[in-house]
Amino acid sequence: MASKSKVKPKFNIQKYFKFTEKGAKIDMPIFLITMTILVFGLIMLYSASYVVGIYRFSGDSLHYIKDQVIFAVLGVAAMLFASKVDYHVYRRYAFALLILVYILLVIVLFMPAYKGCHRWITIKGVGTFQPSEIAKFAVILIFANMIEKNYSKMKTFQYGIAPFLIILVSIVALMFFEPHLSGIVIISAVSAIMMFIGGSDVKWFGIGLGIIAVAIVAVIIIFPSSVSYARSRVEMWLHPEKDLQGAGYQAYQSLLAIGSGGLFGLGLGNGRQKHLHLPEPQNDFIFSVVCEELGFVGGIAVIALFVALFLRGIYIATRAKDKFGAMLVIGIVSQIALQAFLNVAVATGTIPTTGISLPFFSEGGTSLLMLLGEMGIVLSVSRYANLEKEE
Amino acid sequence: MDNNKRNQTAVTNSIRQRTIILAGAALLCFAVVVANMFRIQIVNYEKYKTRATQIQLRETELSAKRGVIYDANMKVLAQSATVWTIFVSPAESDEEQHELVAQGLSEILEVDKETILKKLQNTGSYYEVVKQKVDKPVADRVSEFCNENDIVGVNIAEDYKRYYPYGNFAATILGFCGSDNQGLAGLESYYDEELTGEKGRIISAKNGLGLDMGVDYEIMNESKDGYSLQTTIDETIQHYLEKRLKLAAEEHKVEEGSVGIVMNVKTGAILAMAVYPAFDPNDPYTLVDSRLYDSLMSIENDEERTRAISRARQKQWRNKAVNDLYEPGSVFKIVTASAALDSGSSSLASTFNCTGSVKVEDTVMRCAQTYGHGFETFSQALINSCNPAFIDIGLTMGKDVFYDYFYSFGLAEKTGIDLPGEQKSIYYTDKTHTTVSLASCAFGQSNKITPIQMITAVATAVNGGNLVTPHLVSNLLDSEGNVVEELTPPVRRQVISEDVSRTIRSILQENVKNGNGKNAYVAGYRIGGKSGTSQKLDTEREDDYIASFVGVAPCDDPEIAILILFDTPMGESGYYGGQLAGPVVGGLMGEVLPYLGIEPVYSADEQSRANVIVSSITGYNITDAAVKLQRSGLKVKTVGSGDTVISQYPAYGTSVAAGSTIIAYTEEGASSMVTVPDLVGKSPSATYNALTSRVLNIKEEGAYSGNSGVTVSAQIPAAGDKVPMGTVITVTYMDKSSLE
Repeated sequence: MASKSKVKPKFNIQKYFKFTEKGAKIDMPIFLITMTILVFGLIMLYSASYVVGIYRFSGDSLHYIKDQVIFAVLGVAAMLFASKVDYHVYRRYAFALLILVYILLVIVLFMPAYKGCHRWITIKGVGTFQPSEIAKFAVILIFANMIEKNYSKMKTFQYGIAPFLIILVSIVALMFFEPHLSGIVIISAVSAIMMFIGGSDVKWFGIGLGIIAVAIVAVIIIFPSSVSYARSRVEMWLHPEKDLQGAGYQAYQSLLAIGSGGLFGLGLGNGRQKHLHLPEPQNDFIFSVVCEELGFVGGIAVIALFVALFLRGIYIATRAKDKFGAMLVIGIVSQIALQAFLNVAVATGTIPTTGISLPFFSEGGTSLLMLLGEMGIVLSVSRYANLEKEE
Repeated sequence: MDNNKRNQTAVTNSIRQRTIILAGAALLCFAVVVANMFRIQIVNYEKYKTRATQIQLRETELSAKRGVIYDANMKVLAQSATVWTIFVSPAESDEEQHELVAQGLSEILEVDKETILKKLQNTGSYYEVVKQKVDKPVADRVSEFCNENDIVGVNIAEDYKRYYPYGNFAATILGFCGSDNQGLAGLESYYDEELTGEKGRIISAKNGLGLDMGVDYEIMNESKDGYSLQTTIDETIQHYLEKRLKLAAEEHKVEEGSVGIVMNVKTGAILAMAVYPAFDPNDPYTLVDSRLYDSLMSIENDEERTRAISRARQKQWRNKAVNDLYEPGSVFKIVTASAALDSGSSSLASTFNCTGSVKVEDTVMRCAQTYGHGFETFSQALINSCNPAFIDIGLTMGKDVFYDYFYSFGLAEKTGIDLPGEQKSIYYTDKTHTTVSLASCAFGQSNKITPIQMITAVATAVNGGNLVTPHLVSNLLDSEGNVVEELTPPVRRQVISEDVSRTIRSILQENVKNGNGKNAYVAGYRIGGKSGTSQKLDTEREDDYIASFVGVAPCDDPEIAILILFDTPMGESGYYGGQLAGPVVGGLMGEVLPYLGIEPVYSADEQSRANVIVSSITGYNITDAAVKLQRSGLKVKTVGSGDTVISQYPAYGTSVAAGSTIIAYTEEGASSMVTVPDLVGKSPSATYNALTSRVLNIKEEGAYSGNSGVTVSAQIPAAGDKVPMGTVITVTYMDKSSLE
């Protein structure tokens, strides 16, 4: 492609924007998996949200699904467009995007609080978005870039740990003030995964875990009362029915929804728990609605789709043309899979309750738009990947 | 790009290896979640399903309509009508409307406003009853009020209320229902399950706020109406019984209650059963005896007063015929006599000599006739109701035989009547009897039984010897009136032979005609009967008695038995069963037997009481008129000098006694008024003379007039009235010589 002109001008637009080569095919399996999840998610969102729509928005059963469909259409367009863009150009934006994220994370702290948290930035007439969502992508992008550049020195602390930690800790610190704990968990976990795949010395993970352990012990020693707090949280997690008036209520309602679904569920649309029993059935607890209406079988289908997306993503990453592409894909699919896992784990009471949405299912237009855009990048990487032949 | 650069940027094996670890870790994580889902959805499915149902569904009961209670001819004695329950759901109501709701409801329903406000403060509740059993117009006003003011959280639910169209009629049989339509006494209680039916339910889904989610989410189980009862009670006979029982009970100042039972002796079907005084099942909690109520209300201590009123209510609800025991007295001699004849221990040829008292071991037992009955036969002993003779009969029989028959007559067990709380009798057995107890039991003291046991035993003695089960319900009907189940119980056993039964009947018939039972006599009907007067040994006063009489008819083939019992009569007429209860039985027989379609058959000496319909003689000449009247057994007396009858008295179509005189007027303006003489206390012959001398006709009622000791107890019209000649004067004969 660049063979025609040997003399390059100082400013080359292709460094900043460039379409992929003609004829390079996207990976159909991951595209179909994505579209399946998207359609499944929209159907379930409608079923889960219409009751809440009726109650909260004076009878408007379509309140949530309308916006979501619009964003889904925009998102699919964005995905197809992104799949056409040569992902290598993003390297140019990685640092700038990181700076922008820092700025947004500071700005968001001055936005009006919603339910006690400063997580959303509202742009009048456009909508709201969460800077932490952008932060996730920014971190994936800059980490992928750093790993490709310094891959040979990744075993060292200086290159393989320190720069990553500086970026992660600074972003986490800002998110801590929002506060946005689930975001911190996801961004930290995705970072750790990328560092691990990217070649950081495994011993540092051991040291990191050691530090966390020491920190926990320190907290216990300094604040002995935290033990009982932790115990009560664990207790509530194990026996949510014991505190139905308080924090156990949400988890318990979710368990009732999932449990009463049985093997095949009550049938699509026939769920009862979404009738204001379940908190946020259109968002954090949409998986409970799936399990109630479509049963164990339906729940397994959702999980299987996410697992398939993740494994296919990893497959693409291992066959990617370069480390940057591989790390981008790993970061993106890890983030999606991790979020799906945490959401499902919360809904089933496997882990304590925390607010994490289910990718492609939960209500939230900007989030859906970003997810589909990121999948576009994965598709773009897949065009260059050597998926046909064994090496 | 050159190869070198490509190698530099290419994905390394290290990356590939580490992705495998990542993939493995991810699969492990998801596997944990799947395992947890399996635990929740498959293993613990039932548990979560049940709990979810509890919070998601609401069950609303649908009332089932309680069955109707009919009499034997399908007249309605008790039925349920639709009423409405007004309740508030504070959980669904708007707090700003509470004041308005309380104000409005208190005005419409006449309920205290503060009470409603208090109920509205139970904000977690969906069901706070404001008023039950509200009639439709009032319920309509409530819904109108709610519509006009856009009120939420006030609800109207359908319910049923029990109505007894005849008020206190047959109250002791029917019983009554509580506020939830549950039967609390009488048939309402005994057949509560059958009458109640099955409640239906609406299962509706509710959302997290507890609001109903609409009909699409509802499942409805229709309620099943209760069965109706077709009773053996005949409304007409029950009316006769209640009317006469009330009159007599008031006249004789009965203090502890009066009982009347009319029974079909062949089947055990109860045709009527009454207890006086009777409560009103529509309002069972109000004390019938207002004087008693006033005296109870004057009790100062709250707790004592409440307890006393509660006791008084319990008492007025008691069915004395079934729930209370008494010593039957001489009526019981029917049983003793039957046992003696059937076992052969005595025979009609047995003779007795009564000296007025007899010494049994160390106890002296007296006869009612203190100077004794002298020499008497078995039949005479029963007619005389002679205690020493029956002591003799009992002791001859021995305690084993006596108890054997006592048991066989069903007196040692409950009769099985379909009424609640049947009392079990208290009696001596073959093991516990002493000579003294056997002696006193033989003439009806010491053993305590219920009135229903007594009349059942009498029915057995006269119906050919078959022990029947007294019962009140013949059929269970569904809501369309189809018979669901026939409940008529079969005959239980043969206790005495047909022959002995026939003998007993003839003695009882003789007793009514010429013995102690004269006051139960009804001309034209073969009525048998036995009086009983028993001293109450368990009360503080020594002179408390129970006066009773049992009658059976017709004696050639008995259909019915009637038992009338007065507990503690304190009136001027004394306490003898024959004098107090006998006339009631007789009066009832005179009404019930014709109603049942049993034609009177007059014997030769009863011709004077046979009724004749006066035929028209107006327009006839005197000779023809006399011939015409004579043909129907009537005489004629001419007033005036003409040849042709221009008017007659009594008029054409009137029913008069055979042998009466019809006045034939042959002249205009002939005066013929006479004064009615005072007949009360006069003997039958003196009465007859006094009336015929004034050309007045007589209609005889009450005791058979061929007996000595019978006198007139009442007359209509009253003495001193001016009436036309030929007027029928109704006189009631009464036997006041009887000491039983």
